[in-house]
Amino acid sequence: MKRITVKIAGPAGMGIKSAGLLLAKIVTEAGYYFADYSEYPSLIRGGHNTYQITVSPKEVFMADKKANLLIALSPGHEEDGKNLLKIPLSTMTMQLGGQIYANTISIGAICWILDLNRENAKNIVTGYYGDDPKNPEAFEIGWGWAGTNAKKNEIDKVKDNGDKGSIMDGNEAFGWGLFRGGCNFFAAYPMTPATGVLHFLAKNQDKFGIKVVQPEDEIAVANEATGASIAGASAAVATSGGGFALMNEAVSFGGMIGAGVVYFVGQRPGPATGMPTWTVQGDLLYSVFSGHGEFAKIVLAPGDTQECWECGWESINLANKYDIPVIVLADKILCESSKNIIDPEKGKVEVIKSKKIIPGSGIYLYNSYEHDEEGFSTEDAGIAKKGTEERLNKMKNILKIEKYIFNFYGSKTARNLIVSWGSTKGAILEAIRGNSDMAYLQIKMLWPLNKEIEKVIKSFKTKILVENNATAQLGKLLRSEMGIEFNKTVLKYDGRPFFPNELKEELI
Amino acid sequence: MTDLKSKIVPTWCPGCQDFVIYASLQQAIINQKIDIKDLVIVYDIGCIGNMADFLKVFGVHSLHGRSVPTAVGIKLAHPELKVVVVGGDGGVYGEGLSHLIAAARLNIDITVLVANNQLYSLTTGQTSPTTPKGAKTKSTPKGVESVPIEPEGLIRAVNPTAWVKHVSCQKPPEVTEAIEAALKHHGFDLLDIDQLCVSFGKQLL
Repeated sequence: MKRITVKIAGPAGMGIKSAGLLLAKIVTEAGYYFADYSEYPSLIRGGHNTYQITVSPKEVFMADKKANLLIALSPGHEEDGKNLLKIPLSTMTMQLGGQIYANTISIGAICWILDLNRENAKNIVTGYYGDDPKNPEAFEIGWGWAGTNAKKNEIDKVKDNGDKGSIMDGNEAFGWGLFRGGCNFFAAYPMTPATGVLHFLAKNQDKFGIKVVQPEDEIAVANEATGASIAGASAAVATSGGGFALMNEAVSFGGMIGAGVVYFVGQRPGPATGMPTWTVQGDLLYSVFSGHGEFAKIVLAPGDTQECWECGWESINLANKYDIPVIVLADKILCESSKNIIDPEKGKVEVIKSKKIIPGSGIYLYNSYEHDEEGFSTEDAGIAKKGTEERLNKMKNILKIEKYIFNFYGSKTARNLIVSWGSTKGAILEAIRGNSDMAYLQIKMLWPLNKEIEKVIKSFKTKILVENNATAQLGKLLRSEMGIEFNKTVLKYDGRPFFPNELKEELI
Repeated sequence: MTDLKSKIVPTWCPGCQDFVIYASLQQAIINQKIDIKDLVIVYDIGCIGNMADFLKVFGVHSLHGRSVPTAVGIKLAHPELKVVVVGGDGGVYGEGLSHLIAAARLNIDITVLVANNQLYSLTTGQTSPTTPKGAKTKSTPKGVESVPIEPEGLIRAVNPTAWVKHVSCQKPPEVTEAIEAALKHHGFDLLDIDQLCVSFGKQLL
């Protein structure tokens, strides 16, 4: 098979994601590429949690929806129409003394079925779970059981077993990026799906030299970060839509006083509390227009895990270079799905520091009121007009200078152009794989919108918009800013991402 | 005496006790020989917050109610700075009360000065969290229904080790003395300063 998708299902608390990431590690070590996807309800225990992973010798951009192999860790988690393998897990876990080993037994069975190297896989299991000797034992039980009861389901062998970098999710990749870009102050109030950034940076705060705090609410988060920025720090925060709503007055404050802060927003379906553990691209317009008043800001959107890393340092540099709020829009799919990316410690990364006046370097008043050059409050018509223009003119400089605009895939002479932003990139690249009729424009800087985008889109006759939301928000922006009309719009807004095959069908 | 006054002439009402706090704060900074290079004052929105324009120090005129988290962020990012908050009862005990409590719990080394006139005076006299129960204000013509916050007791309940004091602008030397003590203290400190609003406070007398 060219690629295979394995799905592990069971109730919350059975280590489904942990087993899934273990499997990701094993297949990566064996030289394969993967993309994964997990579903879990917003419950504390129980429910139906799933982890699925698509494995291939070629790069995988998005996991497939349909699994070739399903492992149900406890009864009741079988799904229809799947190649169901009934492993007598309860009997086998009794031998080992606990249900918690069901996941490792399954990994043993999967490794046998995929025809992976037994010793290499077992070594990874041993390292992954540390001291517990029962996990390698569980792996052996699963391997042995599959050997006598299952059929092999091999994937094409790997030809080039090169360096596959590090496995991480988007939250962690973004955290790494922030660190590489010189971030030294990070504040967050927990909110799914962005909490992973807080966990990752809190754990690594000493190693990275980042002050990490969890204040009383998102209002404090944003204002503390603004204070830190005023004091000379490179400051960032992470949240989801509801938390970002509370931060909005600080976005406006930062825009008024010229203090850069990075706002990482992991989108989840709203309005209100919505569906915390699911995905959407519903906050693009809200981000572009966030904060009362008229001022410059930047909105970036990474399209994959590697770009989460890239947006980490890119965003903190932009915040420091222009002294404005920079919003990075990710979503549940990017935040919590894992992939292998280039070692985040490698590669030269530019670190830009703000040139604004900080304590000790001069006397200045950072003033939330309209103010003059020294920061003193003013209601003078001329100064108010000039102040507004100076704040907005930053947009012109960004458009003139910055090159972090878009990615273009495919041929400029293709018949159709797909336009999208953010996490839909994975499913789109899968859907157009090998199709020379389709080109793809992925917009990375969503605000301000560079004229180059207009040029590319208008050079195609058939334009297709793909967004994971109900109101085609990018479409609205492109129409109002550039007069672009799409011939076809493909939307999805049920909390689930686009999967490769379903999108392929939609695009025909 | 080094001058800490800016070129802007204060715009408070004639006879406003904010002048007492203004003078006392300058005196305390000078008496304590605080190097201006190490000082940041964060002002809330309100009458007393307008002091931002009247002092020649590194300042932040923050958002209403957000002076404390802004100051906390500055202090966390730059711990060697002396960070002072100047706000009123509306911003610090109303809009920003949760931030005050959190800062007191954290026992972070900032000094919070509150000009407490029991009113929102910049907006011409509405009830604030410290307005006495029953008092008639522009927004409560039938009398205030809530009981007022008692700042000293509240902060002590949250953090018994926090430095909390109440003084009155009626006795200016005590205000200066208390600000000096607060500036010297390591850890969180709140100085609640009784201050009469000469324009809208008569209804409270």
